[in-house]
Amino acid sequence: MQNESATELTDISPIQSVKKFYFLDYIYILLDSVSRHSKTQDVFMSFLELKRLYRLGESKYKKLTVDTENVTDGRFRRYLYTFDQVLDEASDYGLIESSDDWTTIRLTGKGEELLQLYKRKGSISFNEALFKFMEDKYVAFRYVITKLHSANKNLPGLLFLPSYSPRQLGFERKIFRTTDDFIDYSMSLVRRLENDIEQYIGIRRKLSTENAKLLKRLTTAGLLPSDRNSSFDPAKYNIITKRFRDFWMSFFLNRIYHYRASMPSFDIWTYRGKQIGIIHATEFHPNFSGKIVYPLSVITNSVQSKDFTKLYTYKDGNILFVHKPRWSENQEKFVETIVKAYYDLRRVYRSYFINLAALREIVCLNMKISEKVFEDFMSRTYRLNLAGKLQIRISLEVDKLPEETNAMYLKREPIMVDKKYRNIIAIDATKGGEDHE
Amino acid sequence: MSKLTRKPSQIQRPDALARFQKFYLTDNPFPAEPYVNQDSVDKRVNGGIYETEIHKAEFQQITNNFLKKSQSDPNHLRLGYIIDESYIGRGNGKSAFLVNLKQIIDQEYCLDFSEGKNKCFAVYVSPEAGGRTKTFPAFVDILFNSIVKSDIIKNCLAMLRLDAMKRIYENFDEVIKSMDDEDLVNNLNTEEWFVKNHFDIATIAEEIYGNSFLQQLPSEFPLFQGRSSFMSRFVSTTHFIDYYRNTLKKSADRINFVFSNLVDFYLSAGFNGAYILVDDFERIPDFQSERQKRDFALQLRSCLFDGSYSSARTGFYDFMLVLHAGVPRLVADAWSLSGMEHRVPMLPKISSNHIIRFEKLSKKHAILLLRKYLSEYRIEGSKPDYPLFPFTEDAVQRIGELSEYNAARILKMANELLEKAAESEDVKSINPSFINKSLDMLEEDSSARVPIIKKGEALDLQKKAKAKRAKK
Repeated sequence: MQNESATELTDISPIQSVKKFYFLDYIYILLDSVSRHSKTQDVFMSFLELKRLYRLGESKYKKLTVDTENVTDGRFRRYLYTFDQVLDEASDYGLIESSDDWTTIRLTGKGEELLQLYKRKGSISFNEALFKFMEDKYVAFRYVITKLHSANKNLPGLLFLPSYSPRQLGFERKIFRTTDDFIDYSMSLVRRLENDIEQYIGIRRKLSTENAKLLKRLTTAGLLPSDRNSSFDPAKYNIITKRFRDFWMSFFLNRIYHYRASMPSFDIWTYRGKQIGIIHATEFHPNFSGKIVYPLSVITNSVQSKDFTKLYTYKDGNILFVHKPRWSENQEKFVETIVKAYYDLRRVYRSYFINLAALREIVCLNMKISEKVFEDFMSRTYRLNLAGKLQIRISLEVDKLPEETNAMYLKREPIMVDKKYRNIIAIDATKGGEDHE
Repeated sequence: MSKLTRKPSQIQRPDALARFQKFYLTDNPFPAEPYVNQDSVDKRVNGGIYETEIHKAEFQQITNNFLKKSQSDPNHLRLGYIIDESYIGRGNGKSAFLVNLKQIIDQEYCLDFSEGKNKCFAVYVSPEAGGRTKTFPAFVDILFNSIVKSDIIKNCLAMLRLDAMKRIYENFDEVIKSMDDEDLVNNLNTEEWFVKNHFDIATIAEEIYGNSFLQQLPSEFPLFQGRSSFMSRFVSTTHFIDYYRNTLKKSADRINFVFSNLVDFYLSAGFNGAYILVDDFERIPDFQSERQKRDFALQLRSCLFDGSYSSARTGFYDFMLVLHAGVPRLVADAWSLSGMEHRVPMLPKISSNHIIRFEKLSKKHAILLLRKYLSEYRIEGSKPDYPLFPFTEDAVQRIGELSEYNAARILKMANELLEKAAESEDVKSINPSFINKSLDMLEEDSSARVPIIKKGEALDLQKKAKAKRAKK
């Protein structure tokens, strides 16, 4: 690959140095606050207000609950930290300027332009414009996207980071009493991971030595007793299982895919890329437990297909193209893909209505499109369906499936189709002449 | 050397310990494929092992709202829905419940439940799984096949003959005194028996023709076979089948036959109702277009409620549709357009007598279920430590949790665990720790895990970017 050598960085510090927040909306609410206030103190208060309004939290998922007005000290310090991070980054891109002692802030011309772009054209255009600032400074997306394309030879462009909680492997919390129980879990986990490596990445790896390392670390850290039959401190259960998860995620990222930066930074870049529409990252792919990340863009000197849009030109002449298929040429393919995905899911879950977000994951992956494009295509398809111009019939509802809990919707936002939020879908694909009047 | 004298090199040792003997079992009591197949001779599969305690509440509701209500009350419920509460779907024990319900109804023809008010039989209908049962006529065809399979025509013929013969022959009670019901039905359907005992078939037939319910039937109705010719007048189920398949060609005629003529025939034999238990009803709307759904609902309404059929006039047939949790929404439009939702709502605002909610299982039920299967296969005279042996109660709870309290999956898991436990001599009982050690084996066999991400299915972006555009 011609891009590979250009991006095999000797210095990965730009990728590691990214500021610690996921939502690009943070930049927008900062610019908006600065446009209305100049004293840093006032900007911060306005920032907090907007943060609440846009449900922006510190994790990569939006909040569904509204924060209470009275903020505890600890939380206040966390907010202040986030604010500083956003301030730093906006200042790095030259979007804001401050007085020497940081008591007042004002927008630069570039900042003002970007703010207006959001107001006129919405978040996608804003994110794309912001992307240019980020890439100018860090060239980090280039590394991430190139790496994603080359990470997996078996299923090109798909990066799998499997993760199985004890519960998913059939180990209920209450059966954990001793180190031995965790060893049972770890053996079962290792078998599953080895299996996944073979199935998804097409290589064979034995993980028992790594597993021994992990168990040793847990005992050294005092989380598990070294005597296999002694009981552990139940209060530490969650910490221990998190250690398992983090260990194997990093193992996959660094040792299987040879990604050179840490998991937290990888997360921030990929989830930011997701908001721009150049990368997709999900922890909710149906029937895959863990995280899947794949690029929705390519970096090359030219493309043949009309379904790509130019977003950024690098100094060496390579261009980042985003995959944005055009409806007119892709509608048949889209309908085919949703029908197939629907039946695949139905076979597994054995129910007529299935979760629309689960369907979206499959369609986005198979067509390599962003969630925004999916929503757009789904709305168009639904309107064709209402007009009776499709061979299939689609029913979209707002209801939840009974086995789904509220918590799932904190992380997976409902999908807007034809101006309404929808959660579940059923498709009737009966064909044949007599069915149509 | 002749194959007749050659011996195999390996023979079974007659004294070998049977595989499940250490658990005091004659065989593995649990089915490997736990789906009800009525035609199987294996009681693990044909619904023959049934623990009535499990869905007692549902059964009680059906008894109170259907079986006990007088059939001659014009307002008795003619259509009921058994709606599954679980979205997990298949394997919740609905089919086993229905098969059992049919057996219970047929045992005393419902005379026991209704204190003599009703005499009803039951027919179990299961639409074809591949989606060929799309239209109402196609449904009537499978309904007729199920009627034939339930032997009810044979029984009706026997009942009509018995009645007539009692009137003709004074000492007839003496003749049949020693026969049980089954022998009686068989004899009354065997022409040779009549000849041997010098009962005149023509005389008996004439006596039967006098029955007031038969007067409106067309002359070609199979019961009247031979009436106006010199052919034998001995009628059997075969004549009904032949008539339905070869003489009735139009679907309207077939519907009329099942919902009018046969109803008159049943009435003549002394029945005043029948329960048609339709299992897996979703197999019908699942493959139907909107129009087919509406037509189906309209015809069902006409046959049960307000058409000119005998069944609609007398309320003879009581249908029970077994619905998957998602189905009401699937047919909601068709049901409301055809007026069915108005008469017998599937999605009522208030709880209604005609809706039976089919509950999910609990730990208690799982224990009952396993105990029932185990007891059917206990070695006679053996004394296990406890009825659930070799399963501990904790183990049953664990199995229940792992299979989300789905009956079919509980049974399948029990089957696999018992197989595994029988393999090694050290395993004395099946407890949670044994289950944990066997989890991998259970996981791998689970059909619920289908890898959705397949090679070649996802678009390769880099390839697409490089590919020359296809010509229009």
